[in-house]
Amino acid sequence: MEDYDYLFKIVLIGNAGVGKTCLVRRFTQGLFPPGQGATIGVDFMIKTVEIKGVKVKLQIWDTAGQERFRSITQSYYRSANALILTYDITCEDSFRCLPEWLREIEQYANNQVVTILVGNKIDLADKREVHRQRAEEFAEAQSMLYLETSAKESDNVEKLFLDLACELIREAKQNTLDNNDSTPMPGEGKNINYLSCCSMN
Amino acid sequence: MDEIGSPARRRGGPAGLSAVQFDTIEGLTELDDLERVYAQLCAEEAEVEVELGALMGQQSNIETKMLALHRMGPNLQLIEGDAVQLSGMINFTCSLAENVSSKVRQLDLTKKRLYQAIQRADDILDLKFCTDGVQTALRNQDYEQAAAHIHRYLSLDQSVIELSKQGGEGSAVEASLELLQEAERNLKVLVTTRLEEAVSTADLPQVERFFKILPLLGLHEQGLARFAQYLCSQLASKAEENLLLAVGSDLGERRAPVIFADTLTLLLEGIARIVETHQPIVETYYGPGRLHTLLAHLQKECDKQAQKIVDKFIQQRDYNNKFQVVQSSMMRGMTTEKIEPRDLDPVLCEVTLMNSRAELYFRFLRRRIVADFEVADAMADETVIQEHQQSLELLLKDCQLSRAMQELIGYYIPMEEYYMRESVNKAVVMDTAEVGQLSSSMVDDVFYIVKKCISRALTSSSSDCVCAMINHATSVLETDFREVLVSKLRAGYPVSALQDLQRGVSSAVSMMQSSLQQGKITNLTQTLGIESQEQAKSAYLVTLNNVEVCSENIRTLKKNLESDCAKLFSQGAGSDHAKAKIDSCLSDLVTTSSKFKDLLQEGLQELNNTSIRPQVKPWISSFLSVSHNIEEEEFSEYEANDPWVQQLIVQLEQLMAEFKVGLSPVIYDTLTSLMTSLIAMEMEKTVFKCTFSRLGGLQFDKELRALVAYLSSVTSWTIRDKFARLTQMATILNLERVSEILDYWGPNSGPLTWRLTPAEVRQVLALRVDFRSEDIKRLRL
Ligand SMILES: Nc1nc2c(ncn2[C@@H]2O[C@H](COP(=O)(O)OP(=O)(O)OP(=O)(O)O)[C@@H](O)[C@H]2O)c(=O)[nH]1
Ligand SMILES: [Mg+2]
Repeated sequence: MEDYDYLFKIVLIGNAGVGKTCLVRRFTQGLFPPGQGATIGVDFMIKTVEIKGVKVKLQIWDTAGQERFRSITQSYYRSANALILTYDITCEDSFRCLPEWLREIEQYANNQVVTILVGNKIDLADKREVHRQRAEEFAEAQSMLYLETSAKESDNVEKLFLDLACELIREAKQNTLDNNDSTPMPGEGKNINYLSCCSMN
Repeated sequence: MDEIGSPARRRGGPAGLSAVQFDTIEGLTELDDLERVYAQLCAEEAEVEVELGALMGQQSNIETKMLALHRMGPNLQLIEGDAVQLSGMINFTCSLAENVSSKVRQLDLTKKRLYQAIQRADDILDLKFCTDGVQTALRNQDYEQAAAHIHRYLSLDQSVIELSKQGGEGSAVEASLELLQEAERNLKVLVTTRLEEAVSTADLPQVERFFKILPLLGLHEQGLARFAQYLCSQLASKAEENLLLAVGSDLGERRAPVIFADTLTLLLEGIARIVETHQPIVETYYGPGRLHTLLAHLQKECDKQAQKIVDKFIQQRDYNNKFQVVQSSMMRGMTTEKIEPRDLDPVLCEVTLMNSRAELYFRFLRRRIVADFEVADAMADETVIQEHQQSLELLLKDCQLSRAMQELIGYYIPMEEYYMRESVNKAVVMDTAEVGQLSSSMVDDVFYIVKKCISRALTSSSSDCVCAMINHATSVLETDFREVLVSKLRAGYPVSALQDLQRGVSSAVSMMQSSLQQGKITNLTQTLGIESQEQAKSAYLVTLNNVEVCSENIRTLKKNLESDCAKLFSQGAGSDHAKAKIDSCLSDLVTTSSKFKDLLQEGLQELNNTSIRPQVKPWISSFLSVSHNIEEEEFSEYEANDPWVQQLIVQLEQLMAEFKVGLSPVIYDTLTSLMTSLIAMEMEKTVFKCTFSRLGGLQFDKELRALVAYLSSVTSWTIRDKFARLTQMATILNLERVSEILDYWGPNSGPLTWRLTPAEVRQVLALRVDFRSEDIKRLRL
């Protein structure tokens, strides 16, 4: 069998040009790609990390932010274990679009999905348009985690994915406990007994 | 004194000296000492004599060698003289060689200068020749010749020309240079204008004529741009003509439903044909690596024309409006306006066809441009190669055609999803179960639809589009369709007292029990009537079969899609990446299969609990009413008239008959296995409530064997394991004496693995009325 304890699907969403692809490439390949072109459709990368002796395989789906790819990216929400909703701290517009993205999440994602809000490009501090506090308040109101990153300077990128992995492990363990299930099925949600309500004994 | 004591110490001292010093001897007074020293000296003397003898033996040998050396003396003097002479000769030769080679070097230099001089003279002559030639060629309108002269001039070494100006003929050279430069300017203007004229009058021979001349004058970019302009205008007029034909075409025509895809195909094939036709002259006259430039020009026209086709398509097919309607009906579920999925069929096919044509075209462009760059960049360094690669990606990904197709596909996906969901809903509503069929129509229909939608997405040749549809299919199957089956199973399998009556179950008690237990259901089924109750039963069984078929169909679907995709995405740039994405989506799809398996298991468990258990339980407990505390007489009576097990087997056979015809063999087998476990469990409980005589034990053993034999005959699962405990109980109940158990226990157990604990063994032993409890207690197990 494959060599991992957990498999999680992480999907990155957010406006075009906020730096989703750069975050993923920084994390998976350790580089900041110069002249990164806009993503076409969806990109797919895998990285296995080890957290406290637990091997976690992360399947990362990097979606295109441009409007015309929306219907492709929407089809990935349902099976995602985590969503990284990204905006650009130097671009007020990308922050203003967040409610729209939240509506998408509401509509398409499963209700156990872990969502984290990420403000990227903090290396461009002098061009900041969205204050940290404002973003934090917004995230809190939506009960999302919040993190600020720089794909360019590699700030918090590792932390972003590892924190997320930790959180997902925690939730998966919680689910297993709730189900009293001996074989962990990460990201599988609760194994509801559909027929139990008509049991006649 | 100590020195005397150790004479050996002095051995190896200065040669010829005795170990005993002379003055030591002088100082000796004791006779003992003297004798000892004397003996010592004597020994020394003997030793020295031996050494002397050996040395003397060597004397003649040494003398012979000395003689030989003496003879060599004169020879050595000769050698020295020769060596001196040789050195002198070498010195002489060396200086001679140096003398000669310096002359050769001088000669070489002279020759090179001579050549340069000749070259320069040639160049100057050429320059003159070019100057004259250009004038004549221009006068004769022989532009090819004129351009060839200019090309010759341009390829002359500019520094030589500069130098020539300073030479003796400086002024003459300068004059002809000026003439040449003027001719160059004139020719450039002239040829460019002529090419433009030819382009605007669409005069192909003239276009080609001047297109070939431009690179001779160093005007590659202009040449390609003008030529592309000509090709674009050709392209445009043809495309407009085709689009007009398309818009005006008869709706009844065979190709009418895909007329816009066809028109787009014509446009793209036109460009491919241009590449086929004109690449050779571009390569011949402009060299390799220029195809990208030409195609970048052509792509602008292609984009323009493609957009026109797409716009017309959107307008005539009411594409965006259809999308809006679909979108809003999916968002809100019910709307006033709703599209029949069937009505979307043609437009969905056409869109995927359009996209596949565009993908094919892009693949063609990529192949051609990559090959062309490869030839040109064979010696280029990495940065140039990368730059070319990037410009290629930019051309393919950023063009309007690409974007227009992405937009169409962006609308296609929700519409295909809608098509799939609606059609699946329809299949569910129109579900019919033919008599004699195990599963009903909707499973086949649903998988037909899902397969159709994903296959259609596949024809688009876009891996992202395929992945999106696989994702939607997974969602439809796992959520929507599975929910349908779940709710059908939730309706339950009706069990009623009537059913018991029909079977003529003798035990009134069991009838009472079951009708009490299922009180609610009984009322319900009585009002519904027997017929609808039968329907509900078969509906339940059909649903179980459906669930199993789904689970299988999902596997098959995945396998088929896998091979389809492997074929489609087997080559071309990024095909591995596309395959990896599709594989991941497909593995999500196949996970759904096991969810259906789980559901099947749950449904069977439910059937077992609600329908089998309440009936089987009283049949088993009727064992209690057959005494097993029996003597010879009763035993033979039982033999003649089976009191219990044959009846049980008949009842089980009857009970399972409807499941056997109603369920697929695999499911039936699983259900039988569940029932078997149930029987084993109930039997065990019952036996513990019974008492046995020795013959009663034998009777039970016979009964158990008959039951196991029957159950083994109706299922492919192994029964032995489930009945292991009961079989062991029968063994114990069959013992002659209590102590006989020790023949089977512990070290004597042989291949038998006991499934009963020591406490249970005692418990079973205690069921025998004839075994004394003290004996049992005394047993050491
Ligand atoms: N200064 C700075 N620039 C960044 C950072 N991350 C990304 N960028 C730049 O932002 C631009 C867009 O980055 P991408 O990663 O392509 O953005 P994206 O979100 O993937 O865009 P789409 O694929 O179109 O949705 C690129 O020019 C990057 O170089 C960052 O942390 N700091
Ligand atoms: Mg991107």
